[in-house]
Parts: sequence; C-alpha cells; structure tokens
Amino acid sequence: MANPIVSPVVGWFAKVGRAYHITLEHAGALGILAWDTIVALVTLKVRFRDVLRQLHIMGVQSLPIVFVTASLAGIVTSQQGGYQLISSSPRYVLGTLVVQSVVLELAPLLTAVVLVGRIGARITAELGTMVVSEQIDAFKSLGRDPVAILAAPRIVAGVLTMPLLVGFANVIGIYAGMLMADLDGGLGKETFFYGARLFWHSWDLFYGFSKSVVFGLVIPVISVHMGLRTRGGAEGVGLQTTQAVMFMILTILIIDALFPPLMLQ
Amino acid sequence: MISYKNIHKAFDIPVLSGVDLTVETGEMFALFGPSGTGKSVLLKTTLSLIVPDIGDVEVDGMSVYDGPSSNLEKIRRKIGYVFQHAALFDSLNVYENVSMGLPEDEIARMRTADLSRRVWEALEIVNLEPREILSKLPSELSGGMKKRVGIARAIVGRPEILLWDEPTTGLDPINTAAVERLIQRLSKELEVTSLLVTHDVEGGLHICDRVAMLHSGTLRFCGTPQEFRDSPDTVVQAFVDRAAAIAALDMAIV
Ligand SMILES: Nc1ncnc2c1ncn2[C@@H]1O[C@H](COP(=O)(O)OP(=O)(O)O)[C@@H](O)[C@H]1O
Ligand SMILES: [Mg+2]
Repeated sequence: MANPIVSPVVGWFAKVGRAYHITLEHAGALGILAWDTIVALVTLKVRFRDVLRQLHIMGVQSLPIVFVTASLAGIVTSQQGGYQLISSSPRYVLGTLVVQSVVLELAPLLTAVVLVGRIGARITAELGTMVVSEQIDAFKSLGRDPVAILAAPRIVAGVLTMPLLVGFANVIGIYAGMLMADLDGGLGKETFFYGARLFWHSWDLFYGFSKSVVFGLVIPVISVHMGLRTRGGAEGVGLQTTQAVMFMILTILIIDALFPPLMLQ
Repeated sequence: MISYKNIHKAFDIPVLSGVDLTVETGEMFALFGPSGTGKSVLLKTTLSLIVPDIGDVEVDGMSVYDGPSSNLEKIRRKIGYVFQHAALFDSLNVYENVSMGLPEDEIARMRTADLSRRVWEALEIVNLEPREILSKLPSELSGGMKKRVGIARAIVGRPEILLWDEPTTGLDPINTAAVERLIQRLSKELEVTSLLVTHDVEGGLHICDRVAMLHSGTLRFCGTPQEFRDSPDTVVQAFVDRAAAIAALDMAIV
C-alpha cells in the first residue's frame, strides 16, 4: 500500500532526481558536441565555404535587427537615466550611465536575445527537420559527419559573429543615447562624452566582449544540440524549437548573472 | 551477406526483442510487418544509425558493433540505403544530392567529367531525364521523382547491398509498379543483394526470393513466398488476406 503522506514526498524527490538526471544528460551531450566540433575543426573537416555561408546568415543578415534593438536600448536608457538623475547630480553623469549600461549589459544581452530568436530558433528547426526527414541519417549512411557539415560551421560562425555584432550594437546604442540626451535635455555631445570618459575603464569593453563570446558559443551549441535530438515529425520540430528557445534564454540569463561575481571583483 | 544476431532495442518500450535474420548474398529479401513494429529500426542497426541495446550485425563477415571501427566505414561503402521519404538534402540540387552518394575521397580523386558521368548514369538507371532535373532542388520535385533521386543517390556508389525502406509507400499504383520493376532490375543487372522493407505484401511476394515477417519484436515467419502464402499461422494469414484486400481495392481504383 502506498502511504498517502510519503508518496508525494517520494514523488517530489523522484522529480528532482529526474530533472537532475536530464540536466546531466544534456550537459554531457553538449560537452560531446563541443568536443566533436573541436575535433572536426582540428582535423580540417570543416569546409570554409560552409562557415562563410553561416557568417553571412548570422552576421550580415542580423545587422538590421541589431541596429533597431541597440538604438532603442540607447534611447530608453538615456530618457530613463535623465528622469532618474536627481537635479543635484552633474548632468554629464548621464553620459556615464548610458555608455556603461550599453557596454556592460544591454548590448551583449539584448543582442544575444535577438539572436536566440533569429538564429537559435532557426538552427533548431532546420536541424530538427533534417532529423525527422532522415537527412541526418542519410549523411551518416553516406559516411559524412553531420557535426563537421552542420554543427561546426554554425558554432564557429556564432563565436565569430557575436562579438562583432555586440561591437556594432555598442556604437549604435551609445550614439542613439547621445542623440536622445541632446534632443531630450539639450545635453551636448561634448558633455555626454566627457561623462563617459570620466568613469571609463577599458576593462568594461573586455567584460562586454567576453560576454559576447560566451553567448556566441551558447546559442549555436544549444540550438544544434536540441535540433539533433528532435523526435516525432513536424509536431516534434515545433515543440523542440520552443524548448530550445527557453533553454537558450535561461542559460544566457544565468551566465549573465555569473559574470559580475566572476569578472567585476 | 547480412546477419542480424539477437538484436534487442528498446526506446520507451521494447521495439525489437531478439531478432535473428540472415540475408544471403545475391538474394532479394522482403521484410513485412505492421507499422511501428521496428522494421526501420532493424534496417538502421545495419549502419549504426541506431545502435542496438544487445546483439550484433555482420556484413560479409565484418562485425558492425564487435569489430574495429574501420569496419563501419567499409560496410558503409558496400551498402546503399534508400530512405522511406527519400531524405534528399534540402539545400542541395539533384546533381549535388546524387554525387553525395560517392565517398568523399573518391570524389576528390575524380575528374569533374567523370563525376558528372557517374551521376548522369545513376539518374538514367532510375528512368529520370538528367538534363531536365540536374539543377532542380528537392522541393521542386514530385514525390515519385524524389524517391527515384533517392535511389540514384544510393546506387551511384555501386553498392553490393541495397537496403530499401518502404520504397513504394505513398506512391500511386503506376509509380509503385515502376519502382518495383526498378528494384527487380537493379538486383538482377547490378547483382546486388536487396533487403526490402515494405507494406506492399503482394509486391514483395511477387519479386522476392525469401520473405520474413516481423511481429511484436521478433520474427514471426521466415521462408519462401509460397510458404508464406500457405502458412497456417493465423497472424501471417491475416496479413496476407488484408494485403490481398488492399491490392484488390487498388485495382478497383485504377
Ligand atoms: N530514434 C527513435 N527514438 C525513439 N523512438 C523511436 C526511434 N525510432 C523509432 N522509434 C520507435 O520505435 C518503434 C518502431 O519504429 P519503426 O522502426 O519506424 O517502425 P516501422 O516498422 O513502421 O518502420 C516506433 O514505436 C517508434 O516510435
Ligand atoms: Mg518504417
């Protein structure tokens, strides 16, 4: 007989155990995927043409959306910053605020989130479709390595593209913020950049850059991994894609939260 | 020769529970069974596309799971795999798809003219007009054409063994007959060993030397087409009768 009090507790532990098991399984598979990618790269099995194609899709084609996101981030920070600053603080502090918010947090994080939607979801759906239509099996049956052909070019392109896109977002965000400060409060360009320079550390740029490299790795690795695990037809592809998006966003937010204790001490 | 030895595979539930089957060299062998009994799973264990939980597969005496890893590479070159829905690569055109059927190192050694001649020949064998479709993408082809391109990709490397996963499912009766004739012709002309997984019992009984039936995870029957028709086993009988009824229905529709 099941004890009515004990069984929910046991059930809860079983759930935790299962979640733990699933997490470990994902972590293991992600590690293997990353390792296989490195092996494919070192053994020169990855074709330059494939990487170039992914660089174009991920990088060049993402410029418009990154432009819009970064501009809005700069504008909003500038307006809200102006609103928050008390009248006694010097007005050039707004420059500090905008530049640091954009470089440390907004540009890397928002660009990553945009790329999860634009690139991550696309990769999972693309590879998931290839799994359920047996194209991955076909590659293997013909002695081709799906990691070298499909995974590695996407992962390499992600790592290369993300820092460049974040650099672009930095410039756009800061300029949009500066223009807004001028329009909104008549804060001149010189004053804005005076404030920005006053508290500027080169470290901040490195900090944002490091984030972008990690995010640029996380997005393609998770989306490829999830895509390759797709099961069960078109419905499976849809389900897997939404799960992959959740998985990527959560991972990015958690990693983002780990950065200050690790790099801003 | 392909030997499946005591193949077990479970996903959430057991799918294969101890399958033993040997297909002799030069033979045309049909494997029947209701949907979802694991026919595709069994075929996929041949090339390690799905790894069995227990058991081994031997191809011409080379073990897939118990031998050196170079075996798999050698076995892959011997085998042409025709996937159920053709499994053409979406982003590649017909020419590129078919040429993927050749090993990478062989392509590297070939001159472009030789490569295109091989692709051309393979497409002609499956009765496609190369000139018309070489540069088309899979999305521009009909179902029957996709299947044939899939077959061309499987045979371009001149395999000794062909594995067919439901090559006629989803085709109209005319295309079905054409693909069946093609399977027969390839087996005779190219002298390949064929293992054919099919729903089309009538067709399978008609063209194959031996047949087997997979049921509830094990082989329920293995023997000649005549023995299959005459089998006293009620499960086999039900399958033969239903297949006959469906075939009659098909004829009526035509
Ligand atoms: N990669 C897989 N992961 C999980 N379950 C699978 C996988 N491949 C097949 N199955 C399951 O195994 C069973 C047999 O599938 P399959 O071999 O495709 O049947 P069929 O005899 O129709 O070809 C089905 O229940 C299917 O859901
Ligand atoms: Mg099947």
